[in-house]
Amino acid sequence: MPAEPVLKLEGLTVAYGRVTALDRISLAVQPGEVVALLGPSGSGKSTLLNAVAGFLSLADGSIWLRERVVANARRAEPPEHRDVGVVFQNYALWPHLSALDTVAYPMRRRGAPAAEARAEAQRILSLLHIGQLADRRPSELSGGEQQRVGLARALARQASLYLFDEPTAHLDTHVRGVFLDELVARRSATGAAALYATHDAEEALGLADRVALLNSGRLVQIGSPQEVYDQPADMWVAQLTGPISVLEVPGEGRMLVRPGWARLDGERSGRIEAVRFAGPHSDYQLSTALGQVVIRQAGPPQHEVGAEVTWSLERTWRIG
Amino acid sequence: MRRRSRTPGRAILALALGVLVAVLVAFPIARLVTVAWTEGHGVLPELAAEPGLGRAVTHTILLAAAVTAAAVPMGTAAALGLARADVPGRRAWRLAVLLPIVVPDYVLGFSWTEAYGIGGFTDVLVGKPWLGVNSAVGVWAALTVGAVPLTYLVVAAGLSARAEPSLVRAARASGAGPAVVLWTVTLPLLRPAIAAAAVLCFALSLQAFAIPQLMGTPAGFRTVTTEIYRNLSLGSDPQSFVAALVLALLLVLITLLAVGPADAWLGPRLRVRRAAVVEPAIAVRSRSAAGVAVAIALGGFLILGVLLPLIALLGTAVSPAVGVPPIPSNWTAGNFTSVITPRTLAAFGRTALLAVTAAVLLTVLGTAVAGLERGRGGRLIATLVTATFVLPGSTLAVALLISYGRWLADTLILILLAYLAKLWAFGHRPLSGALDRLPPTELHAARASGAPAITAVRTVALRPLAPALLTAWLIVCVTAMHEVTMSSLLYGPGTETLAVVVLNSADLGQVQNTAALAVLVTLVMLVPALPIWLLVRRLKVRVPEPVDAR
Repeated sequence: MPAEPVLKLEGLTVAYGRVTALDRISLAVQPGEVVALLGPSGSGKSTLLNAVAGFLSLADGSIWLRERVVANARRAEPPEHRDVGVVFQNYALWPHLSALDTVAYPMRRRGAPAAEARAEAQRILSLLHIGQLADRRPSELSGGEQQRVGLARALARQASLYLFDEPTAHLDTHVRGVFLDELVARRSATGAAALYATHDAEEALGLADRVALLNSGRLVQIGSPQEVYDQPADMWVAQLTGPISVLEVPGEGRMLVRPGWARLDGERSGRIEAVRFAGPHSDYQLSTALGQVVIRQAGPPQHEVGAEVTWSLERTWRIG
Repeated sequence: MRRRSRTPGRAILALALGVLVAVLVAFPIARLVTVAWTEGHGVLPELAAEPGLGRAVTHTILLAAAVTAAAVPMGTAAALGLARADVPGRRAWRLAVLLPIVVPDYVLGFSWTEAYGIGGFTDVLVGKPWLGVNSAVGVWAALTVGAVPLTYLVVAAGLSARAEPSLVRAARASGAGPAVVLWTVTLPLLRPAIAAAAVLCFALSLQAFAIPQLMGTPAGFRTVTTEIYRNLSLGSDPQSFVAALVLALLLVLITLLAVGPADAWLGPRLRVRRAAVVEPAIAVRSRSAAGVAVAIALGGFLILGVLLPLIALLGTAVSPAVGVPPIPSNWTAGNFTSVITPRTLAAFGRTALLAVTAAVLLTVLGTAVAGLERGRGGRLIATLVTATFVLPGSTLAVALLISYGRWLADTLILILLAYLAKLWAFGHRPLSGALDRLPPTELHAARASGAPAITAVRTVALRPLAPALLTAWLIVCVTAMHEVTMSSLLYGPGTETLAVVVLNSADLGQVQNTAALAVLVTLVMLVPALPIWLLVRRLKVRVPEPVDAR
């Protein structure tokens, strides 16, 4: 164990009535580490974040922030006493406050004088390139701008752990890219740890140090982005983390093949069923003796549908 | 802004509704103004010199202000309290808090007299005259109890529309404790709703009649509405008739002065913004001291404000005479048998007929206005219909009387016209709201799937509108059953409503009989409301589950 983890979950269990939303989750986040929570809708990502933030109570288990238990089945510290900043999915900006007052809010709650809090808020807004929008109310901001104000408010909390509840869910692709760049830049500057919930595998693999996969309230696998991509714990993880082909290899059983793990040319033969051009690369779907396989090659399509081609397997992953 | 093809059908409907509004409201009010001027300008100096008139106006304004000052904080506290997840039996409390408006106001006023008045329940308990609520303070307290559900409803609606759970959570996560969140986030967000509740409460308190009449008049506390009633019942005296007209005009002027500027300021602020995502409030099942305190405070309010008075009413209804100890061996059903007369039954029949007719007509008319509102021209009618809601019932009744009394005096039609004018907004609001929530794309999808306009409405819109239709019908029906202000001014021989029978019985000082009647009336009002309410609940359309609810 290197340093004391910023966040430690031990057997975290949350129930809504009879429905178990989170089932014995254990997880630790180290200082400066970004852990992505990846799972489909209803998998428990938001519930986990809400439990850590202190918005709901636990049925069992405990939550540690640094060396302190902040919640277990019996007692829970209120959100304002936990050292966490939260960025919400729907921005959750107060309609009656300007961007400046919104970002100054956490500092005012820490007891900073109004002038000081506002100056600091202006500085944070400028860092996020929205300094000129300080006087605007949420209704006068675009979605991307609103989410940056939400991020600025969380940063103003100066917490050692940040929680992101699908912050890009309502942003379009371009704004999302800008926002994520901003996030990565901030992250290296503050060195704070983060839990980042998302249902987008590309986003999770791209920005996290480790990815935790949640399915129906259970933690299925946790590992580095490469681990969960290359060595998925089961079929569900494999399908969630990226495109996959399943081949029946004689003598070896069912094997998973990522599109980049096979290439055209080689000792095996197959017939092209479909070709999809995706800009930098093209995907070929082959019908082979082992089953259907998708092969990704750089460049524009080089074969027509129906062509007989040869191919080879470079790598496989065996699944139970 | 959606554009509609203008069809002759819509134009004819708009014209018909416009004519109806003119007949029901615009013409009578214009007539009231002209008659008050032609008949009144000669005697106006005399009237103005009379101290009773000025006193009634002062009383009315002070009373309405005092009721507002008390009912708005109480309703706001109730709304905030019942928004907490940790209140035991929260769902039941949310209904129970509406109890004071299920009981007709004249029953509430009379019950308060029986419970807290001279010789009432508390006096018997203490053994000497104690509270003596037949006073200005008593009128204020009883009106406040009756007004709390209204302010609660307005603030609670604002709370669910504007203060989303995530806004509160964001403040907590920013380091604010519950009290600071209330002060910096929740209350600022609620400001328009609280202001709207205050305006509505003030306007409706100005026109309160039954409670001031039952509790204030015997103690010499006069308001504008009770003075109108007194002046009109003096019948042949022309000067008191003119006084009634002038008072009716004054009442509407005061209302306009209060509501007009407030509406201009509040209108744009009350538009509901729709959240990007509908998010569920997270239910935390834990109990807390604060939650229990909310339940206890509400329970205390309901027991003192409604239940104890109703028990006192029941006690009076089963006792044979004033002063007989309320013990079981003295109980009698005699009061009940003596009040169930053909006259009472006929009055009940008239009340039911009026209420059901008004409810059916206004549900149709309300739907028509709500539908037209979305096109051009319809908005004016919708605004007029909504404005009529704050038009004092006394004024409306006087205006209708001098406009159509020549032909319709002493007929049920005159009372029906008054109900239609006064309660139209109740038929309109629920449907207007439901149509707002109905996504236009759903109808477009039906049309794009090959359904003609009528079929699209029938198959796609009717089901989600059903709760609103039922709500409109139910609110109009119940309010019309309760109505006493207008029917007490408009009834004639053979057109008494049930409320008028109770009011006259109380006026004659027949305490036991009035109590028995009031008990029966309350039961009659509650019994049909229950199954209909269950039906409304069953029909409630489930909101689609939000994405990633947990």
